[in-house]
Amino acid sequence: MADISDTRTTPATATRPAKRFRWDTIGDHAVLIAGALLMLVPVYMVFATSSWDAITVHRNGMQFGFGDRFVENYNAALFEYGGFTDSVNGMTMLANSMILGLGFAIGKIVVGMMAAYAIVYFRLKFATLAFWMIFTTLLLPLEVRILPSYEVITAMNLGNTYTGLIVPLIASATATFFFRQFFRSVPEELIEAARIDGAGPVKFFIDILVPLSRTMIAAMFIIMFVFGWNQYLWPTLITTDESLFTLVRGIRQIIQSYADGSETPDYGQAAALAIIAMTPPVLIVVFFQNWFVKGLTESDK
Amino acid sequence: MKRAAFGHIGFPILLLIPQLAIIAIFFYWPAGYAIQSSFYLEDPFGFGSTFVGLENYTRLTRSSNYMESAWFTLIFTSVVTFFALAIALLLAVKADKVIRGAKTYRTLLMWVYAIAPPVAGLIGVMLFDQSRGNLTQLFGMMGIEYRLGVNYWDTAIAMITVSIWKQIPVNFIFFLSGLQAIPRSVREAAMIDNPSGTRRFWDITFPLLAPTGFFLLIINITYSLFETFGIVDTIVKGEPGNNPMTLVYRVFVDGFRGQDLGGSSAQSVVLMILVLILTIVQFRFLERRIHYT
Amino acid sequence: MKLKYTVGASLAFGLMAGAAQAQTEIEWWHAMGGQLGETVNQMAENFNASQDEYVITPVFKGTYEETLTSAIAAFRAGEQPNIVQVFDAGAATVIAAQGATIPVETLMADNGYEFDREEFISGVRNFYADSDGMMIGMPFNSSTPVLYYNADALAEAGVEPPQTYEDFEEIAPALLEAGYAGMSASLLQWTMTENFFSRHNLPFATNDNGYGGTDVELLVNHPAIVDHFTSLAEWEEAGYYNWYGAGWGDNQNPFEAGEVAMWIGSSGSFGGIADRVDFNFGATFLPYWESVTSEPTQTFIGGAALFAMSGQSEEENAATAAFFDYLASAENQVFWHVETGYVPITTEAYELAAEQGHYEEFPAAEVGIQQLQLPSGENTRGYRLGFYVQIRDVMIREYSRIIAGETTAEDAFATIEEEANELLARFAQTQG
Repeated sequence: MADISDTRTTPATATRPAKRFRWDTIGDHAVLIAGALLMLVPVYMVFATSSWDAITVHRNGMQFGFGDRFVENYNAALFEYGGFTDSVNGMTMLANSMILGLGFAIGKIVVGMMAAYAIVYFRLKFATLAFWMIFTTLLLPLEVRILPSYEVITAMNLGNTYTGLIVPLIASATATFFFRQFFRSVPEELIEAARIDGAGPVKFFIDILVPLSRTMIAAMFIIMFVFGWNQYLWPTLITTDESLFTLVRGIRQIIQSYADGSETPDYGQAAALAIIAMTPPVLIVVFFQNWFVKGLTESDK
Repeated sequence: MKRAAFGHIGFPILLLIPQLAIIAIFFYWPAGYAIQSSFYLEDPFGFGSTFVGLENYTRLTRSSNYMESAWFTLIFTSVVTFFALAIALLLAVKADKVIRGAKTYRTLLMWVYAIAPPVAGLIGVMLFDQSRGNLTQLFGMMGIEYRLGVNYWDTAIAMITVSIWKQIPVNFIFFLSGLQAIPRSVREAAMIDNPSGTRRFWDITFPLLAPTGFFLLIINITYSLFETFGIVDTIVKGEPGNNPMTLVYRVFVDGFRGQDLGGSSAQSVVLMILVLILTIVQFRFLERRIHYT
Repeated sequence: MKLKYTVGASLAFGLMAGAAQAQTEIEWWHAMGGQLGETVNQMAENFNASQDEYVITPVFKGTYEETLTSAIAAFRAGEQPNIVQVFDAGAATVIAAQGATIPVETLMADNGYEFDREEFISGVRNFYADSDGMMIGMPFNSSTPVLYYNADALAEAGVEPPQTYEDFEEIAPALLEAGYAGMSASLLQWTMTENFFSRHNLPFATNDNGYGGTDVELLVNHPAIVDHFTSLAEWEEAGYYNWYGAGWGDNQNPFEAGEVAMWIGSSGSFGGIADRVDFNFGATFLPYWESVTSEPTQTFIGGAALFAMSGQSEEENAATAAFFDYLASAENQVFWHVETGYVPITTEAYELAAEQGHYEEFPAAEVGIQQLQLPSGENTRGYRLGFYVQIRDVMIREYSRIIAGETTAEDAFATIEEEANELLARFAQTQG
């Protein structure tokens, strides 16, 4: 563990700031570059590996250089159909991941905003009770109640449906909780003014509150989309029908063939699929990072 | 509740219905089901069951295997939390200082947030593979025998490393925002009072970051406990073997692999209680935090 | 839009199916991924093309464990498939739940098919049967543990493939001299535990290896296997035996890479090996200890069987029976056997494969079948034990510890027996 300090210290007198500044920054940049490499190199290796044939990787591990199978691997990962009904390929999985990411983000935000609005802006006798009921759901991540949730979904016959895939994930009330906090920080004067103007609750919500929350909604959307896109355990259990596979679920299938040794796993294609699976969420996070950072640091998920 | 709230009754209830319906069906029902199942031993097909009272719970305390997982989870959580926070703090302090390339660094240090845990796990499996792993070969050159899936702690190292790697970005973002929220006047005063960087950090910056740090502590504990599932599953390749396992992974292994509904449900309830404690701590803190901002 | 499309498509599909000649459709859930899955799909297509009354759709459900869990959950929701593939360790769970499945013998008789259990290879016949020998599951991907050897490496060291573990001890130093570790093995619970007991005809559990009912205790803490694992740990120390962890492939890869001269794995693995290695290899019977028995007996099958799930219409059950009948025919068994390396389940199919000259081309493909036809004993039919997946997990955990030197074989087997018996007692309670 490196020591969190400047690389050198000199008496502040006698040295000219410019010189000290330069020496200091070299140390700072060195640490930051090391950190950036730590984040980049493993993924770069996956990217390089995605251009090789299975046998090379099987014998020598991940590669640093580029091979000649780039186009073939990506083509196979994206467009080659598999399964009995020939219904699934990388594009199908990409579409399913997109549906899961969008469905989860939109569903969670809509449901959460409605509930938060009801709790904060209305004189309901049981608002506190409702809040606590909703709040309790933060206690139990899906991973913990996985078996009973699975039983419930099967009992309702929602296995292998988008509903069964998305709705249970919305059952945790992080968005509600966050919008409640946000609404509480909205100045009282706004609602006073709205009432003087004779605006009803629907008008106030749509004309004032939603525009006011725009940035927050965008930030939440990015976080939720990434969270939904990257779901692993739940899609694994709920979608056994290949036409509903998400990319992350598809990757699990490859890992299994890696483990059971009955055949050489197609490492190049697996790496290509991993790259395809991480590209959309990474791009969104990188391009909208200002919103994303704001959303992340001002919410709790 | 706002002082000036709307007085309607029907409308807010309508607004609440979707949320309440979803949590009733997909949260309270399964949670109740878990609590109920934890007192029974039942045939998974539903043909037979025996009421066993607290047997499923007492068995956990007797099971050396479960206690070992509990210890491992404690160690895993502490190590992952500590290093993910420490490395992120170091990087955030440096990123806060540099002027040139600040935005680029921020981007490069946070983008891994978007990578799915099992994908991170897959990278780990490839890097740490027993015979083909690049890191394994590197260790071999240094004369260290590293065997993923064979030696308990070697497997643990891979799990911990990947989990830290995956969590650094979130912590980095929070710390950086925390640092940038420190008012200029405070910084300048600190500069004059205390030219030594190290002292300045520990006397001024660190205390100011403490609230962020505490909040992150909870976030990281929760992450280590639950969100690492995909990493653990990938790295052990779905085989418990003699591999370390986190408690959440055990719930899955006993319930889904082993069809032991009662035992798995009891473990779920134990985790519920654990999260309850964590959440109470977090909630009190959050309320206070909101109060200040 | 996708949501609407799915609903629309299934509606349209339903209408089409109604409009066409009413074919009975059945679903088959399986755990055969990758290349094996392709072969399963091929078989289903062949069946669908062979007649026009029935249509079977195979659905890949993930691992064996996931397939079983999905089937159980579906059963509870009244949505079970017609056929589910259940692996050896999960068989007790399915068979204990009487009413969840229709025994294959009953199903075939009800639908007017001849079914003679005597036609099945003896090592295949008993595992998925009840205590009276009535077959409940239809053996599907059957395999048995055999020893593969790198013929070039053995020739280089100037040694013969071992028949016994005593032979192995004798040749291992020469192999080490030639630069090879002697042996690795996959799935020790199967290759060196369950089949170890069968190969030496030792009782594995009370109450007729568990076939007699759920009141059962494991007898795994036997001096013969304690000695065997003590030897394994010693061999590991000496460099004769290499252990690569719980993963199946992790132990197979080093053999294929030419680091290890011999590998104990599945008789069904040989096709994959043939595809991947560039040395000459052969297969021979699973070794035994001469010090334990001078009359080694047969092993039994691993892999998985197909179970017909109950609660389906008569037409669908007729379709399932028709498919089982198709599957058991000699031609289809040979197709499956040649494509995958799994053993054919009937003697007729075995003879047909021999007639076609398959074993002249691939002698290694025959070893598993011959081993399943060795003399049987009172303890060679297999086992019927509940919560067996967890019991296997306990075994492999302890075996890892023995080999790593963290515990002695004596202590490990005492632990396995104790934890297994607690699990078995718990399983008995689930049936209450």
